[in-house]
Amino acid sequence: MSDAPVRTEGLTKVFYDESRGEVRAVDGVDIACSAGEILGLLGANGAGKTTTLRMLSTVLRPTGGRAWVQGYEVREAPEQVRANLGFHSASTALYPKITPRETLRFFARVNRYPAEGVEARVEELIRRFRLEEYADTRVEKLSSGMKQKVSMARTVAHDPPVLIFDEPTVALDVLNAIELRAIIAGLRKEGKAILFSTHIMSEAEQLCDRIAIIHHGRILATGTLEELRTATGLHYLEDIFVRYARVRSPAEAERDNLGGDLPGGGHP
Amino acid sequence: MRSTSAVWAIFALEIRSLLRDPRTVLVSIVLPVLLIPAILLAGEWVENRRAERELARVYRFTVVGTDSAFVLDLMAAVREDAPGSGEPAGATDPAGAADPAGARDSAAAEDPPENGLRFRRVPVADPRAALESDSVDFYVEGLTREEWLAELPDTVVPGIGPEDGGARVLRIHYLAPRTASRGGAAALQDHLLEARKSRRDSIVMEAGFPVSPALVAAVDTLNVASDEEIQGARLGRILTMILVGLMLLGGSAVATDTLAGEKERGTLETLLTSAASRGDIIRGKLLSIMAVALTIAMIQVVNLWVFLGLGLLDVGGGFAAAVTPGVALGLMVLYLPVVALTAGLLLLTSAHARSYKEAQLYLSPVLLGMLLPTLAPFLPDLSLRSAIVVVPIANLSLAVRDLLIGEIHLPLFAAAWLVTAGAAAWVAARSVQALRDESVVTGGTTRAEFLGGPELFQNRVLRWFLVFWAVKILLDFNVPLEDIRAAAFFSVGVVFLAFPLLVIRHFRLDPVEALALRMPRPGVWLGVLLGAPAALVAVNGLFRLMDFMLPMPSELVENFGQALLPEDVPAWQLILLLSILPGIAEEITFRGVLLHGLRKRFGPVALALVVGLIFGIFHFQIFRIPVTAALGVILAAVTLLTGSIFPAMAWHAMNNGLAIFLGTRGIELDFEGWWWGLGAVLVLGLAFRIIWAYRTPYPEVGARRKRRSLDPAD
Repeated sequence: MSDAPVRTEGLTKVFYDESRGEVRAVDGVDIACSAGEILGLLGANGAGKTTTLRMLSTVLRPTGGRAWVQGYEVREAPEQVRANLGFHSASTALYPKITPRETLRFFARVNRYPAEGVEARVEELIRRFRLEEYADTRVEKLSSGMKQKVSMARTVAHDPPVLIFDEPTVALDVLNAIELRAIIAGLRKEGKAILFSTHIMSEAEQLCDRIAIIHHGRILATGTLEELRTATGLHYLEDIFVRYARVRSPAEAERDNLGGDLPGGGHP
Repeated sequence: MRSTSAVWAIFALEIRSLLRDPRTVLVSIVLPVLLIPAILLAGEWVENRRAERELARVYRFTVVGTDSAFVLDLMAAVREDAPGSGEPAGATDPAGAADPAGARDSAAAEDPPENGLRFRRVPVADPRAALESDSVDFYVEGLTREEWLAELPDTVVPGIGPEDGGARVLRIHYLAPRTASRGGAAALQDHLLEARKSRRDSIVMEAGFPVSPALVAAVDTLNVASDEEIQGARLGRILTMILVGLMLLGGSAVATDTLAGEKERGTLETLLTSAASRGDIIRGKLLSIMAVALTIAMIQVVNLWVFLGLGLLDVGGGFAAAVTPGVALGLMVLYLPVVALTAGLLLLTSAHARSYKEAQLYLSPVLLGMLLPTLAPFLPDLSLRSAIVVVPIANLSLAVRDLLIGEIHLPLFAAAWLVTAGAAAWVAARSVQALRDESVVTGGTTRAEFLGGPELFQNRVLRWFLVFWAVKILLDFNVPLEDIRAAAFFSVGVVFLAFPLLVIRHFRLDPVEALALRMPRPGVWLGVLLGAPAALVAVNGLFRLMDFMLPMPSELVENFGQALLPEDVPAWQLILLLSILPGIAEEITFRGVLLHGLRKRFGPVALALVVGLIFGIFHFQIFRIPVTAALGVILAAVTLLTGSIFPAMAWHAMNNGLAIFLGTRGIELDFEGWWWGLGAVLVLGLAFRIIWAYRTPYPEVGARRKRRSLDPAD
């Protein structure tokens, strides 16, 4: 899996917090995500999901370990890393004073999409995300559902091979969340490598090809839903999650880590 | 990596967003366009109204006292004696002295006299009460000298002794808080003095002597400056301040919105996860602030021009005469770094603010701080040929003044330009650094901030020294200690010992490490013994060389020498206070905590230069900076080579001791011939060769730089 579009090795981030002291927000995370795959990062709030994804998008600098996007290391070639990924989270907002069309044009240009292809790409995105009706209305005047679609379109504006969605549905109503998941599933078909973080079990069950359970900054288990079921003997992802998060010590988790290829046995 | 298209995309986005925000356009363009002429017009109107009212005013007064007849007589002379009218009143109307007050008085009050002042006498019973109740504006009390002296305490009144008996005293009582009272009293006083002089002249004339001063000698002036030069000088003083002020006015709205506003809206993280480099983002935003600030400044200039051209405003213009096309081109070149630095500082403020509100909070001190250097051209006799050339903005504001009066010094202009451009580049780099800082997104604390102590000191050392420098300036100028011993003890002993001790305590530094209190290898002392006198001679040679290239006012140099070495202080006290004490205290500050705090940040050469330069700028007299900086570099090098502060202390004390020895004996290091300098440099080289042979390198120098080069990011 060394040529996977996304790969991390012992990725670690230590924060210093006035009240909590030294916080190991991410502690030796190894994950990999292949093209055409959605890897779900499942964890409670504060488990280290966002920190991991922000290190991959080079906004945060790892304090240990390494991470590659399309073969570029996050600390060595941050701009190439960012040119090869689209990052979307609940906290990445749109510019209010410009229209969706201008937004897409801007992000295609800033992300180094070939200049001569920008206009065609923008038109294609408007059609695909069905933005025609409000493509020339200022973003500040759009409803939150419309903004969501524009935001998704701008994430893929430069057609990056890797996409990162950090709890994208957290502020959405049910219908918008369903539409968004459908769009992400569509992007998988195009062969994108997709990292998707959530704390919602059903979402991970529905959408993700493989699930990495993250807790207190450590990956406790990685595998397809079936593999996780087999490993734990439990059916529901929520039960599986609770089992790993509560019962397993890090050492046991290390032994049972299912990784890409499932080691034999591994019942608790 | 630089991507032009990303820079332009960000620039276009900023401008577009600005133009679509009606509030910003209103606040930063439309309102100033209306307000600035309105303020000027209002000022003009108020001034005109004030002048009109002054002309129309009739001051009400009354006269009291034993000698009121004389007062009225002299006041009558005032009214009749308009300035410039030939004969003094007393001469044409000698009867006036005997004429009692009354009918003449009210008649005269109705005619507006040529000098524009009108007084009307109001008869009142109690003048003091009338003054309090605003029935009169002031009253004049006529006293005999005896009465007046009796009222005064026994102190001697200079110039008016009892022997001048016979004259009278006219005392004007007025109420200072009331404009009419204060103004009228002052006007009357001037005119009474004038009338007194006229009367004296008339007496002299009657005695047969000529009185016109013109008979002694006429005094005339002729201004040889051309109209362009006069207007240029006026324009040169204010132009930079106006331009920077207008740019700040226009640029601040965009600047606050651009990074601080993006943080608040959440678009900054979107932008930071795009492929645009941090440098591209700053370049794009800087360009947009520059463009907006310049455009708004230009709109204002054109706006004022139109008001002046229409004759609606009159500021005593004719400025156009000073600005030829060549000068205009020169102005544009000189102002380029000013524009970049202004925009850069606004952007940096925005980058460090966590929210829009915080950015606005920081803005006013930044604005005031930026306008301060533009006041430089107002300082009389401040020349670009001084240390001001290293002060960004202030140096170019002086260059602009010089350009406008036609005094062009290309090397100095170039130096000023480079300094301000360098400052602009540095500020821009700081903004890039601020974007790289993770706390932009997370708002967390860094490891050093969290741990505090020695780790944090390395990040804060320059900041602490900057504040210390400012405090030191304030202390030096505001604690006047006449006695050289007290001054030396305070400014060296107290200040330079207290600061390092405070730093060591605050950051919990290990004194042995922070001050490099380690014994050097014995051979080093030989190097010090040879090096200190050689360095004194060599540095003195440098000073002569500098004096030759950039002459310094010699009286400044001599005064300083005298102040430093008074003759009535015993030699042992001089040695103790000016040699041993600085050797210990200044070394602890500079080669101790400063060097320790910066050690990981720079390689050995840069470290010695930086420490030396900072040591130099702590000696505020401009002409001493290069000399002390050179000594500072040598002392830092010695400390870095020996890993110990003691050789530098000994060297410093020896240097000062030798200078005192030579100074008290009147021996000047004014050597004819270059071989002295060459010899000194050779001996200094030998001294360093010896120290090198016995070296014990200072620990951890450049450690952080090496680590960073292994970890290149963005």
